[in-house]
Amino acid sequence: MSETIGSGGCGESNSNLGCAGCAAAKPTKTTQLGKPPGGMDLFKIGLGLTVVCLLCAGVLGGIYLVTEPIRLQTVHVREEKMLRSLLGLPENAKMEEVRRYRTSGMQTLALTSRFLVNLNEDGREVSRQAFPENLVSGAEEEKDKWVKEHAPEAEYAGRFFVGKEGDQIGGYVVEGITSGYKSKVRFFVALDGAFSLRGLEILEQEEDPGLGAEIAQPYFKNQFAGRSAEELSKMKVTKDPLDGDWKAALENFGNTPFSAWLQENRGRLSQHQVVHAITGATISSEAITSGVKKTVANFRRRVDLLKGAL
Amino acid sequence: MSTAKPGTSIPATSELILRGLFTENPVFRLALSLCPAVAVTTSVQNGLMLGGAVLCVQVLSSATASLFKKWINSKIRIPVFTIMIAMWVTVMDMSLAAFFPDAYEKVGLYIKLIVAFAIIISRLELFAVKQPIVPSIFDGLGMGLGFLLALVVTGAFRELLGSGSLFGYQLVPFKPFLLIVLPAGGFFTIGFIMALFNWIDLLRGKALPKASGGQHG
Repeated sequence: MSETIGSGGCGESNSNLGCAGCAAAKPTKTTQLGKPPGGMDLFKIGLGLTVVCLLCAGVLGGIYLVTEPIRLQTVHVREEKMLRSLLGLPENAKMEEVRRYRTSGMQTLALTSRFLVNLNEDGREVSRQAFPENLVSGAEEEKDKWVKEHAPEAEYAGRFFVGKEGDQIGGYVVEGITSGYKSKVRFFVALDGAFSLRGLEILEQEEDPGLGAEIAQPYFKNQFAGRSAEELSKMKVTKDPLDGDWKAALENFGNTPFSAWLQENRGRLSQHQVVHAITGATISSEAITSGVKKTVANFRRRVDLLKGAL
Repeated sequence: MSTAKPGTSIPATSELILRGLFTENPVFRLALSLCPAVAVTTSVQNGLMLGGAVLCVQVLSSATASLFKKWINSKIRIPVFTIMIAMWVTVMDMSLAAFFPDAYEKVGLYIKLIVAFAIIISRLELFAVKQPIVPSIFDGLGMGLGFLLALVVTGAFRELLGSGSLFGYQLVPFKPFLLIVLPAGGFFTIGFIMALFNWIDLLRGKALPKASGGQHG
């Protein structure tokens, strides 16, 4: 379909075969290239393409306005489900979202389900404000807007979830973002009360299918499960292939309760103190590993500051 | 091969549908969009979902191209077609993400690739731009169904032989022929089914298609 100029309204690229309608409309043979389009033609072409693009953009904008709130809602429901299964908490346990905001000073703002707490750099509480109940289950944008109204220079800096059984903290799920091979990868790291990893879930990624996209596969992401924070900080990425026995164990993760899986695989975990990179996607593998490490290390530091607010 | 000459009579609806399904099946006859066909057909379900998405995009794009053919400057019809297809693909992408998140998770990455599927633009170029809207919709429907059929048949064959299951249900406790689920096996599968199509044609006393089926370049 390279010779488009001059082929007129006739679709067939093989104009030797001749198409009746075309030949009738244009008596001259159209095989040779016509004159280059003049200024007016170019203008018309440009205008036409612009109009087509604008029309399509309009349609897409309309569809986006309809589908986006629904998509956010489904994402929210799925996230909630994922959080519970990551922490393995019972039905009656509460999941509380904590959103962190930075201000220009050294202060941190933490938005829990009940308060917006202002902490100074030592983690001492400076002030707290009640958070209106009707916004708790609302959209993220609404929450951010509310915070901005009370602290104009606050900037969203991340979030985590606290799972509570009664007053006992059952675990945390921290959202992390890291740069993958292609674009940002968003993930959840689940930690128990002692900051050992309970699991990793990839939320959004745009890595290559079959290569980097394998980071979301059980045999990769579950390599982090069951590691203490110290073990994690020492984990290195290796290009050695994953052996079948360990792969099977990783793929079995989630089929049994976490504690049973841990019990069964204690030996294998200590035997494999490394992250086996995905074949052909070492950069993605390294990116996730360093992203998880950073997220956990930063979270441990921060949660100390935020303790008073939880 | 009975492609209607432009400007001449409009083929019957049933012929349009049957042509897309069998005589000019996009994958088994025209050998178009083989790469995505091989990439997703590791299971019936994947094939079904991508096939469905292609069907929708094909019908919508054919209808749009036919509807607006009077205003499309023939010099820039290819970019205009591409933009139209891209628009419908994005609409599909956004709707799937909103309404079928589970399916989207599986085929989301391939949905975006539909923009570059040769079968869609070739139907706009060969049919929709010359014909009224109703036959164009049926032509799109036929071709889309043909693609869907191809993906489902290939997917079923590969899932059954490669993983020993169908629709995710394990039928036999072992993997009969693992190679089939790998990309090379996908090409083998499609090749075998093409051969089957030709064999049936031979049995019915028809001549085999010529190698230079140049009308669909």
